[in-house]
Amino acid sequence: MEKKIGVYICTGCGIGDALEIDALAGVATDEYEAAVCRQNAFLCSREGVAEIKHDLENEGINTIVIAACSPRVMTDVFDFGVDKVCERVNLREQVVWSHPPNDEDTQMMAQDQLRMGITKAKEMQPAEPFMAEDLSRKILVVGGGLAGITAASEANKAGYEVVLVEKSDQLGGYLKEVHKLPPSRPPYEELQDFDLGAVTGQVTDQPAVKVYTNAQIAKISGAPCMFDVQIQQNGGVADERVGAIVLATGAIPYDAAKLEHLGFGKSADVITAAQLESMFKSGDVKRPSNGQPITGAAFILCAGSRDPKHLPYCSAACCVESLKQAKYFKQANPETPVYIFYKDLRAHGTYELLYKQLQKDGVIFVRGDVTGVEEDGSGGLVVSADDVLTGSPVMSESVDVVVLATGMVPTTALGKKFKVQEPKEGEEELAVPEDTIVVSNNLNLDYRQGPELPALKYGFPDSHFICFPYESRRTGIYPAGSVRAPMDYWRAVDDATGAALKAIQCVQMVSEGKAVHPRAGDLTYPEFFMQRCTQCKRCTEECPFGAINEDEKANPLPNPTRCRRCGVCMGACPERIISFKNYSVGMIGNAIKSIDVPDEYEEKPRILVLACENDAYPALDMSGIRRMSYNPWVRIVPVRCLGSMNLVWIADALSKGIDGILLLGCKHGDDYQCHFIKGSELANIRMSKIQETLNRLVLESERVRLEQISIADYSKLPEILDSFAAKLDEVGPNPYKGY
Amino acid sequence: MEPKYVSLEMRDYITGMGAETLNWCMQCGLCTNLCPWRLVPGEISEKFNIRHMQRLGQMGMEGFEDEQVLFACSTCSMCQTNCPRGVKIVDNVRGMRSSIVGAGMAPANLRPILGSAHAQGNPWSGPREKRTDWQQGLDVPQFDGDKEYFLFVCCHSCYDQRSTKVAKSITRLLQRAGVSFGVIGAEESCCGESMRKLGDEELFQKLAQSNIKLFNDKGVKKIITTSPHCLWTFQNEYPELGGEWEVIHYTQLLEQLLEDGKLSFPESLGKRVAFHDPCYLGRHSGIYEAPRKLLAAVPGAETLELTRCREMSLCCAGGGGRIWAEVPMGERFGELRISDAVGKGAEILTTSCPYCLNMLTDACNSMDKQEVLEINELSEILAASLA
Amino acid sequence: MAQGQNGERSILVVGGGMSGLSAALEAAEAGFQVYLVEREPYLGGRVSRMNKYFPKLCPPNCGLEINFRRIRNNPLIRFFTMTEVEKIVGEAGNFDITLKSSPRYVNDKCTGCGACAEAATTHIANPFNYGLDTVKAAYLPHEFAFPMRYVLAPEVIGSEEAAAIKAACPYDAIDLDMQPSTFDLKVGAVIWATGWEPYDAGKIGYYGFGKHKNVISNVMMERLAAYNGPTNGRIVRLSDNRQAGRVAFVQCAGSRDENHLAYCSGVCCLASLKQATYLLEQNPEAQATIFYIDIRALGKYEDFFTKVQADERVTLIKGKAGEITEDSTTGMVTVQVEDQSSGKILKDQFDLVVLATGMVPASATDKVPAEAACDEHGFMLGEQPTGGIIGAGCVKKPVDVATSVQDATAAALKAIQATFRR
Repeated sequence: MEKKIGVYICTGCGIGDALEIDALAGVATDEYEAAVCRQNAFLCSREGVAEIKHDLENEGINTIVIAACSPRVMTDVFDFGVDKVCERVNLREQVVWSHPPNDEDTQMMAQDQLRMGITKAKEMQPAEPFMAEDLSRKILVVGGGLAGITAASEANKAGYEVVLVEKSDQLGGYLKEVHKLPPSRPPYEELQDFDLGAVTGQVTDQPAVKVYTNAQIAKISGAPCMFDVQIQQNGGVADERVGAIVLATGAIPYDAAKLEHLGFGKSADVITAAQLESMFKSGDVKRPSNGQPITGAAFILCAGSRDPKHLPYCSAACCVESLKQAKYFKQANPETPVYIFYKDLRAHGTYELLYKQLQKDGVIFVRGDVTGVEEDGSGGLVVSADDVLTGSPVMSESVDVVVLATGMVPTTALGKKFKVQEPKEGEEELAVPEDTIVVSNNLNLDYRQGPELPALKYGFPDSHFICFPYESRRTGIYPAGSVRAPMDYWRAVDDATGAALKAIQCVQMVSEGKAVHPRAGDLTYPEFFMQRCTQCKRCTEECPFGAINEDEKANPLPNPTRCRRCGVCMGACPERIISFKNYSVGMIGNAIKSIDVPDEYEEKPRILVLACENDAYPALDMSGIRRMSYNPWVRIVPVRCLGSMNLVWIADALSKGIDGILLLGCKHGDDYQCHFIKGSELANIRMSKIQETLNRLVLESERVRLEQISIADYSKLPEILDSFAAKLDEVGPNPYKGY
Repeated sequence: MEPKYVSLEMRDYITGMGAETLNWCMQCGLCTNLCPWRLVPGEISEKFNIRHMQRLGQMGMEGFEDEQVLFACSTCSMCQTNCPRGVKIVDNVRGMRSSIVGAGMAPANLRPILGSAHAQGNPWSGPREKRTDWQQGLDVPQFDGDKEYFLFVCCHSCYDQRSTKVAKSITRLLQRAGVSFGVIGAEESCCGESMRKLGDEELFQKLAQSNIKLFNDKGVKKIITTSPHCLWTFQNEYPELGGEWEVIHYTQLLEQLLEDGKLSFPESLGKRVAFHDPCYLGRHSGIYEAPRKLLAAVPGAETLELTRCREMSLCCAGGGGRIWAEVPMGERFGELRISDAVGKGAEILTTSCPYCLNMLTDACNSMDKQEVLEINELSEILAASLA
Repeated sequence: MAQGQNGERSILVVGGGMSGLSAALEAAEAGFQVYLVEREPYLGGRVSRMNKYFPKLCPPNCGLEINFRRIRNNPLIRFFTMTEVEKIVGEAGNFDITLKSSPRYVNDKCTGCGACAEAATTHIANPFNYGLDTVKAAYLPHEFAFPMRYVLAPEVIGSEEAAAIKAACPYDAIDLDMQPSTFDLKVGAVIWATGWEPYDAGKIGYYGFGKHKNVISNVMMERLAAYNGPTNGRIVRLSDNRQAGRVAFVQCAGSRDENHLAYCSGVCCLASLKQATYLLEQNPEAQATIFYIDIRALGKYEDFFTKVQADERVTLIKGKAGEITEDSTTGMVTVQVEDQSSGKILKDQFDLVVLATGMVPASATDKVPAEAACDEHGFMLGEQPTGGIIGAGCVKKPVDVATSVQDATAAALKAIQATFRR
């Protein structure tokens, strides 16, 4: 498409008062020969926008550069449709609101920002969505327990076809052995009955839900809307093509055999909560040792949980589950002595009222560590504990059974850790942080980066984002229920319903060629210029979402519908063969090269700031909104993610004479805040490569600095920018100026 | 440390003695931390921990029998009214005491008191026939079926020299307002409220049965009490034993009379007065306004509030049988009330409970503040203000 | 499924906080038309007034920024600020909604330049900071405010000042004649996500909130710790603005208490652990003491609990705090408590006491204007008598942010299902 650029400079909000607008317009008209360059004192007004639209229609303008406020605002006003390229140059928040008016340096800053904007706009193309064929809108649910059934039935109720795969011969999962449920509604003091048949009936009686029992996923290949699933059943294999997947394989109780210190294995009457539950379910409640009725029981909470030697986490459901089971005994016979030994009683929300009821029922609650479970010589068991509340060791009376409230282990944690293939002889080893992927035989993904969802700590493939609890690391695959995190029945039901929506949403977005979260709606995707690929594997290894597979020759096989559009692959590629329609290595490189770098005698250093557009860039805006000022040497380039930073930009900037480069990315490490998981961490790893570049150019290592910035850190930004400038002042000017 | 053994039998015994809500307690500890004992130093303060005491009861464990623990509670209900679980802590204290006293193990200092109540129907070792001595010089009508109200004078105000003035002033006020009332006299027995709190359930039952029979035989329908303690037990404990009457504290009745224009207080007081809320009138019975409205009707009574007042009022330490306890100086709740009142510039600290009057007067005297602060009972101010 | 275009396929989301925003976005990204209404002049709700989230200690504005971008990029969402629902009539698939907007006195010509604020002279209590400071009568609710548009306080309407403010605006964005307006929408389902209010700590007499200056609530602590709060993020004593060194956190201030809120509010334990980190981060000499009944750090939050507990400057004391008293000369506040693990009875002095006040569902006070079922605490039930009215987030349960979002996502699907006429 022939580019015809219109540049529109707003002089409102103080811009016109602070800058020499004619000089600025001169950049557009003289340096870049923009077809149209207009000024408007109120560009976001109806008239201002009408003027632009007039040019689109009458002047043939197809590429618009708006030099005004931040792209974070007036987005709806400056929306000219997907077929137009529109680039925003942030003169307000990041130039005039954060720098002194009518100052030579402020003017130069504005001009450079405009140069970069026009340069980018010149290279941008309108997005063309990725539209594949034979797209499936079916939802696959793996696991036929409470969460799986819920996800399947809720998706079905919204009009979607569902494939449900359950490994055992019957649906229901853990629920099959459950007697009653804790209360989800008033009266909160009472247990809730449920009908297993009605639960499973939600999927078994539905024509649009295809249920495979006694079945397992042999292999899943492909990508959202194009997942090809092989289901192993009765020795045969069935094939299904699905759009998105809910993983609901649940958790299993912690292995009580490891809890010998609590008497398990030593006495037959020390049992697990699951064993007790099935006793009540079957109505056959007896002492395992002698088949006699149970006339007294003690529950030991946190049996394995909250214990660094076993499960360091809290299993979230056991306190309430034990209250529920204590209620079974009290309902059967109010005189039955029941003890509950606990650390903290975690009856959250309205479960507090169940706790209160159990106290009224006479359950004895003992707070403190259990020190022993012993046979009392007459066939019973006594539990001793250090009771904080009496301030002394205490010993229970004799009970018939001791019930261990064992915690939850996610099914994704069962198996050996997946090993990424070792680099072959002569291949360069990449320091990409390895994901925890356990070969757990749940999904068997045919993904280059491993067969299952990457897990967080303790093996739960949970989201790491508080605001976005469904953000798994594999696009279109949403874990739900106790496999995602320890949770109780009711939360699992909610969780599965939400996951079903995410699966539906993924199918919807992908079928329109759009990205899913966090760049929801983005129509661009990475395109590979394969002829120049050297099979270095960086893109396939570094993609945080496992979007890129490899063929036998290690050629990358991109899966655009798995892609989250962060650009990490683009940053990783040493051959620069990966680009988006509106975001590419060359485009940013040229923008950087368009910065006017004065020679060293002018004593005007230049600092390139590559700012993550999710956090650092808005934070820079905030500094402006608060009218904080920082040094005017900086030239800000927003990037999709710091992980999309390509090293050539550093080289470009340094050889252009730019004195320093500041990389502003999100926090990485255990509590990472990077919306693309590993982007900022990868950028940090690339810093070692940057050192090589600096060494090659014989430049000081202090010239490139990476800072982790959250969106709320705007108060620190002026100091960060100023101190970096001061450092560069010490180091002295870049000797490449003027080359 | 040797382990302590849980005994459900013991727990059930205690709950059977009246500590019915013992197991409702989640051991948050708010009770211990709102307890007035936290405000004073000393041995009892260090030993008495109501949460811990209930914990031992919950577990059926020994250790709560120590006199300074078990009998320290003045049943002020600060803990109970604020208890997050709605535990009837005062009943639990009573039940735990009963489990000891009922087994014949009442502390030595309480035996004469309980003995007097057994023998003479009052805990003040006063002969039954002298119960009406306070009436000398007054023309107090005898209750008969034609009288609207039966005035039940607290034993303390029948026998305690200082306290008899309360009985007298209330009589004067009622007469001035033209209330139809009468007293019964020597046959009356102590209401038993404090006896029950001390854990002597048997004694309480005896006193209550005797009163119920007496009152019913005499045709009582409505009762005016001088003490909030009598009020509370008549209202809350007698009905299930067969004593069902309309019971009212004298301040409530006077407030009505004031509103109805049947009573007025023309004489000016010309003093700064603070009102001490009695626990059994306030937190136990929810009466805060009546005494304040009466006081406000007295001309020249400049009222001020103590730092701890109304729902948050500090106990005088006389309830729950504590009126018979010996507490060293410096550890008495009453002293805090005196200091607060003096500090705030009150000239009179008044109240409307004979126990409070007693405890506050003792505290004031022991602190040697009688010159700056007068302790009296509200009825005395009101009676003095009658023309 | 066809993309929802008609009224039957659209969803009204009431409440622009974390739950409402999430429900609206999740439904819109699934292809449905969504109307989002918010009572405040900005979206973001209560979380926008939080400093950080537990357990990651990341700023709420980070997620909000992403969500606002999702809104900006999604033509299927329309939102209305300063708007409340007056009436809901109908049934699943077919609701008639009446909404009422309060005047902002600033129209959509506002560019956010701030000239009006410069012209304003009156200061009003800053609602964003729970009245801990003041703001000009023409104000941007906060710097992250979305939409980035100023508001004129009704207090100045009709004054000369208002005329001056109007005159100061170069863009004719001040409209002093703006009136409350009502309008109607037709939708297929309603998601009620009005969130929660902090329990009024003043009702807990023995804690002296409202009486003792240095006794504050946990939501106030969030503002004190936030850079965009009244103290630029300095945690100070309100009595004298001196940096707080010794801070007590009193758990269950209202929650788990029949006299106040009988339920557990679910989040306060973690909130206090988090707030202890605020304090220690800005003052290495500081000491945080947490008085609790049970620490309810469920699931993987246990790690956060363990981490905070390991800091030797943090003391956790099992025991519900009793009376709090103030020394009016020094401003120090004394907390009465028994350390149950040692049996010792303590009276400790602090610079600041933070009451971990619980959550009251907004649905308890501002009721759904339709037949809706709530429990005795005001929490909306999962099953509603009017199909198609769906509670989401803290109107259903006292939960943390992640769980609210999860619940809101589930609610979005329930709403989508309800848009199909039965």
